Amino acid sequence: MPCGGQPAATRTKKASPLATQKELSDFFIEVERRAYKQALYAVRDDHQALDIVQDAMLKLTEKYASRPPAELPLVFQRILQNTIRDFYRRQKVRALWTTPISSLFGPDAEGDSDPLETLEVQDDSKFSEPPAEQLERSQVLALIEKALQQLPARQRQAFLLRYWEELDVAAAAKIMGCSEGSVKTHCSRAAHALATILEKQGIKL
Amino acid sequence: MNLPEHELARKLVQHLDQGVDRLGPGVRERLVTARNAALSKYREQPAPVLGLAWAGQAAARITEPGFYDARNLIAVAALVLALVGVGYWQISAPGNDVADIDTNLLTDELPVSAYLDKGFDSWLKRSPR
Repeated sequence: MPCGGQPAATRTKKASPLATQKELSDFFIEVERRAYKQALYAVRDDHQALDIVQDAMLKLTEKYASRPPAELPLVFQRILQNTIRDFYRRQKVRALWTTPISSLFGPDAEGDSDPLETLEVQDDSKFSEPPAEQLERSQVLALIEKALQQLPARQRQAFLLRYWEELDVAAAAKIMGCSEGSVKTHCSRAAHALATILEKQGIKL
Repeated sequence: MNLPEHELARKLVQHLDQGVDRLGPGVRERLVTARNAALSKYREQPAPVLGLAWAGQAAARITEPGFYDARNLIAVAALVLALVGVGYWQISAPGNDVADIDTNLLTDELPVSAYLDKGFDSWLKRSPR
């Protein structure tokens, strides 16, 4: 934990232990790569993902650096998730304008489908044949990441916050702005969907 | 695959952690740049609301022990005297003439409209005689 920092006794008379620049830097080093990956799974574009992480770090430094170090992980996750959500919103607005225009120039094969439908794995996938142990680790990872990207946004968000960021249900619910029950449901569905996808790919964890 | 949710999650997260450790140098470099850009905005204490900052400083100054030395006391006494002087001068200064004239005009038995009457003007000129 980056909150080890300075002991309270060495601080001046003010009681609230604020994050020093060093503590903030250590915190970023610890979380930035996971944050990048989270953003990448959500937006599927590495440039956009890097921009999102940079935005989140800037916001944390500018507005919330006065928080005690122990609060930083939660605040950062909230900022990160909000930044990702803002990206979705911008994309939605853009799609609102571009979809009617593009539909004028030919049939759009994709359409607006139920996100769960994207979980289907094609039977002619090149990974369908066992055994999975022949796959390199990196290939397994690539498949897991791809499966994560295919999850509906809320499920992915809940799953990553709970299990990767190791937040408790209450904290995840606060960040996601939903009830604790919803977080549990999203997590359970995400795990089930991931298991199904990976099983279809012939991957044994 | 019928792993319990937590067990499955734990295994997946292990793979994800490995993926994080194998990020490409380009991405790592961009992250370092982003981190440095963010840290360059770091300030020891974010600027609080101006009024409160001022009030806090003033309070701190008054309560600090060196505040009540001779120079400060003389300065404060001079300031208080000056304020009293200004107040006294305001009260006792020769009243505003224009205001007095207005008051007299309005409280007089003679209606104000009389002054607009040309006949009244000429009567005034004649009356001393």
